[in-house]
This record gives sequence, C-alpha cells and structure tokens, in this order.
Amino acid sequence: MNTNTMSFKTKQFLMFAGVTTFIFCAVVIVPFVYGLYLTFTSWDGVSATKPFVGMANYASTFADADFWKALARTAVYSVISVILVNVVAFILAFLVTSGVKGQNFFRAGFFVPNLIGGIVLGYIWKFVFNRALVALGTSLSVGALSTSWLATTSGAMFCLIIVSVWQYAGYMMLIYVAGFMSVSNDVIEAAKIDGCTNMQTIVHISVPLMVSSFVQCLFLTITRCFMVYDVNLSLTKGEPFNSSVMAAMHVYNTAFTYKDYGTGQAEALILFIVCAVVGVLQVYIGKKAEVSA
Amino acid sequence: MKKKILSLVLAAAMAVSLAACGGSSGDSGSSASGASGDTITIFNTKSEIQDQFVELADRYSQEKGVKVEVYYSSDTVAAHLASKYAAKDPYTISMVDPKDVYSLGAEHALDLSDQEWVKNTDYAISVDGQVKGFPVCIEARGLMYNATAIEAITGEEFKPEDYKTLDAFTALLDKLVAGGMAAPVGIMKEDWSLAAHYFQEIYEKQDDPEAFIQSLYAGSADLANNKVFNEMMDTFDVLMKYNYAADSPVAAEREVSEQKLAEGEIAFMFGGNWDWSLIKDYEPSEKMGMMPVPENSDNGSNDKLVGGGSKYFFIDSSEAFSAEQIQGAKDFLNWLVADEAGNKFLTEDCALVPAFSNINADALDPLSLSVKNYADAGKLIDNYNYDPDDHYSKVGASMQKYLAGQIDRAGFAAEVESYWSSTTPVEH
Repeated sequence: MNTNTMSFKTKQFLMFAGVTTFIFCAVVIVPFVYGLYLTFTSWDGVSATKPFVGMANYASTFADADFWKALARTAVYSVISVILVNVVAFILAFLVTSGVKGQNFFRAGFFVPNLIGGIVLGYIWKFVFNRALVALGTSLSVGALSTSWLATTSGAMFCLIIVSVWQYAGYMMLIYVAGFMSVSNDVIEAAKIDGCTNMQTIVHISVPLMVSSFVQCLFLTITRCFMVYDVNLSLTKGEPFNSSVMAAMHVYNTAFTYKDYGTGQAEALILFIVCAVVGVLQVYIGKKAEVSA
Repeated sequence: MKKKILSLVLAAAMAVSLAACGGSSGDSGSSASGASGDTITIFNTKSEIQDQFVELADRYSQEKGVKVEVYYSSDTVAAHLASKYAAKDPYTISMVDPKDVYSLGAEHALDLSDQEWVKNTDYAISVDGQVKGFPVCIEARGLMYNATAIEAITGEEFKPEDYKTLDAFTALLDKLVAGGMAAPVGIMKEDWSLAAHYFQEIYEKQDDPEAFIQSLYAGSADLANNKVFNEMMDTFDVLMKYNYAADSPVAAEREVSEQKLAEGEIAFMFGGNWDWSLIKDYEPSEKMGMMPVPENSDNGSNDKLVGGGSKYFFIDSSEAFSAEQIQGAKDFLNWLVADEAGNKFLTEDCALVPAFSNINADALDPLSLSVKNYADAGKLIDNYNYDPDDHYSKVGASMQKYLAGQIDRAGFAAEVESYWSSTTPVEH
C-alpha cells in the first residue's frame, strides 16, 4: 500500500486528529475569530445590528483609565500571589515527601481547598474576614483585627492574595511532589555520600532536576492569577470603591453590565495578549534552565 | 499498588475540581429551549418571589391548560437577556427594569396598546407611542423605620410626619441615643443602594430632573452649590454620624443591618419596600413603615417617597413564538390584573404593591402598605430611569469613599461631576 499519497495522509490525519481538531476549532478558534470581529463593532450585546466602527473600541480601551488601573492591580496581585503560592507549595511538597508520619493524609488535606469552587471559597472567606476575625479582634481587643480588612483598599487586596494562596498552594504542591519523586534516589544518595547537607541536596540536586515542575507551576499560577474572576466576585465584588476590581471583572462589567460589548471584547483581547506573552516568555526562559541527570 | 490507588484518587479529585469550577453559575432551571409547542416561558428577576412564581406556574398550567415555565437568573438582567437573544432563544415574557424596557422595547417587545389592563394603570411604559411594558409592581424608596423600637424609648406615639425636617429628625436621634440606643441608624454600603437609590433622589428631587441631568452631561452643573445636593448630603452626614457601623461603614453587611432594624436594635435605615423580603426572615417588630427622607427643605420633597413602577413584563416580538403562545402570554397578563386569583398572587403571595387601580391590596406588609398609602395620596416623586449603565458602579464607588471618610463633600461632588461630563449621554 502506498502510504506516501496526499489522500492517505489526509485520511490518517482525519482518523487520528479529526474529531479533536473539529472540537478545537468549534470551541476555541471560531469564537476567538468571532470575538476579534466584534471588537470592530459597537454592538451593545443585545441588538440585532452590529454597526462597524473600525478601531474605535481600541481607542476607547486605551482611553479607559479604569481598565489600565485594573490591569496594573492584577499584575501586582499576580506577582505577589505567584511568588507566595509557589514558595508555600514548594515547602509543603518538601514536607510531605520528607517521610513524616501520615504524609498521604497531609497531601490530601492540603489539596482539599482546590476542590472547593472559587465562588464558594470567596463566600466562606468573606465570612471569616468580616465576622470571625472581627469578633475575635473585638473580644481580644486587637486593634488590627477589630475592623474588617475587606473595608480598606490594601486590606481587600491582601485578603484576595491570602485566599488565592490558600486555594492554589495545594494544587501546585502536587506538581512539586511529583517533581521531588521524579528525582532519582541514586543522585540523592551520591550527594549524601559526598557530604551534602539536606539544604545543599535540595538546592544543588533536587531543584535543578525538577525545573520542569517549576515551569509548569509558574505557568499555571500566572495564567490563573491574571484571569482571576470567581474569588474576586464573591469575596470583594470590587469593593471598597471599586478598588479591588481585577482585569477580568472589569472586562465583564464593561461588556455586560455597562453594555459596551465591543470595548469589553477589545479589553479582553489585550488581557489575553498580556497573559499569553507573560506565559510564553516564562515557559521559554524556564525550558532553557532545564537539565537532565 | 498503593501508589496506583493514590494516583487514581488524585486524578478523580482533579476531575471533580474541574467540574466544581464549571458548576458555579447562578442560573436555576435549565435553558429555556424547552419552549416548544405551546409552552410560555417567563423570566423572573425578583429572587424573593421565585418560589411563589414556580408554584403559580404549576397551578396556572393545570387550570388553564397552558404550559407555563418560570426561570430565574441572578445575572444582571441586561446581561442575561443579551446572551438569550444572542442564542436566539428568548423568553416569551421577560421581567425587566424600566430602563431595559426603553432600551430593548423598540426592537424586542410586542405592542400591547390594545390590552384590557392598560386602562387600569398609570404606570405602563410606552416606547415610540406603543405600550410595551406591563408594570408588575410599584416600589418606592425612603427611610424605613421601626416604630416599636422608637416608642419604647420615647414613650409616645411615633408620627413620621413630625420629623420631616432634618432638625426635628436629629433631635429625635439624640433622644434615642440618650435613651440607650447607642447608634440608631444603619446604612447599606452597596453601590446600588448608595448611588442608584439614595444619590438618585438628588436628581429626582430637582425641579426639572431631565434638564439637571443634561447640565451634568454638559459639565455646566454646579453640584457643590446645588440646593438639593446639599440638603440630601446634610441628611446623609447625620445618617453617617449615627450609623451603628461608623467605625468601618463599608464593611457593614446588608443582612446584619436588616436584622438589626427588624429587631429594633437600630431604628432607621434608608431603603425600599423590597427590603421586607429580608426583614421578614428575622423577627420584625409589629410597627414598621417607610417615611420620606428628612430634609431641611422647603419645596415639599420631604413630604414624598420616591418611586413608581419598578419591574416590567414585556412580551417578546420575535418570530420565535407562535400566535397561540403570544395569545397565551397576553392572557396571562390580563389574568393577573382581572382575575381575583391573579390579584391574590400579586398582593398576597408575592406581597407586591399593585400598579393597577382595580386591585385591592389590604393584605400587604407594613413597608408596602406605607408605599401604597403614599402612592394613593399622590405623594410619589417619579423615578428617573435613564441613568447610564455604569452610573451605579462609578458614582457608588465615589459615594463609598465619602462614606468611609476618604473624600470630603467638595471632592465627592467633583468626582460625580467628572463622571457625568466624561460619559456619553443616554439617548431616550
């Protein structure tokens, strides 16, 4: 049978990748292109007509100070959260692979927050910040706790970061656990015999060998933090005074609540580009640092 | 083997977490695409009457042989309908806010001018000369009070009309504080309450609201020296001073404040008769009601509540529905107004203040009864329905800053002015 003809190759492609390609086009490529088209219209989200307005939406996006503020805020939030999530996750992963008693139980325990959806999580923590901590602070007369953190600008951001770390650290821990386990015992033992302390073993042996875990975790946390919406909605709803509105929430508000669909879509595109550039750049740099034993 | 099980468990856990993320949207009921045959779909946006509405739909379906389905969504009304229209899957009857009737009516709503109920109401909404919006209820804003709590301290009957001016009102608050009620006022910090309900009254109490709004758009209005603005903000300052959550006003939770009001721990809170749906869940005092916002004003605005028709039904005009479905929808609206069972549903089951003169409404809750009394006496200041869509959020944010003491009145006025002058006027 001639396997080098065009028709054979097409058939083979369709057989193995046809369905997935179709689904990928239907749910990713087509909506993306359609969304791109909508950024050139002044559609309000409801009308039957979609008047073409050229670059006007991009002009108003660049003029929308609130959007850039939200984006800057998201960047600050992301940087702090990404660092904290990964530091906490790495430490947890180290602890639950170091052979403590009941480590499987701890692994499951740390992972549980990730199983609670962001919306529910937000409401739970809202209760903690608004009532539980305040009640505690009042009865122990601790000044910093007696008013709700959610009522102040920096406090609300701080709360968002705490909740994100709590939510994602367990998930990232799993990836780091896999990383730790993939480091072969031979090299660890060799390092020990050569007189490495525990700390030196981690820094010089384990970490370089599990760079791919770092790349994965950083990519996941960066993209998730940039796109944060559910926790933002249920925990702060942008309050106080719209000072905790993240980029995704601003996009949603512009498109749907303020009925300016075109501008919202244009802002979403910019958010996507920022997110993609940061993500790809990080993976590219990370891949270069990978080594093999 | 053990590891294999562990990895299986973890894989399952991750799959569950994905599912949990997907399942957190606020819709109840499946999509409305079951609108086949003669089913009438109704979109309800008043969460507090959803249970009653579903029950009614069952009853109505059985009695009239017309299948009625009720859907609810906690999304923003416009956003939800936008997605429905984008999917070409509209509801037969949609309940929306007045501004949505104006913005959607021309394109999506059926002309109802020839319907029976039109002659029984002053509150129907017309777009381009055609009646398009069916008023579901009247709602009004004002100061809610708990008379039982006040009388327990003052020892005399509480007559709201004695406290029309801010001076008289402040004297009463001082008396309450002296009598042991540490802080007699609650303030809802939600942006919609601050901007779309309280601050909104500043537009509505102007001699000519439309002209005032136009001058705000044009940037020629001088808010800081506006009489109504200063009167309303003077009152707001007093409310802030006596606020039970004055330490941390933007952390006050609505449910907590409503509970305090219901149980008489505080005596006053600005709100509307819809707040009864929360208050009734606690143990409300017997004598509650609503009064106009006290103001040192001489133009009579401190004599009236602000409100009117607040939720509207419109019938979809697209080709998604057959003539029978449209007729069924029209019959349903007429049934609400003309049939005793329909009236009972509105006023008793849902506790709504009816917008129709022929409907008897003696069984209302105390707040709604106040609203009805003011409405019957012609003491309602009309709603202004043409705010830009981002008004409540932007002005609400500025007002939260004022509430939290982060800006002064001049700074607040300047922020509101700059919001309006940088906004595209809403055509209407």
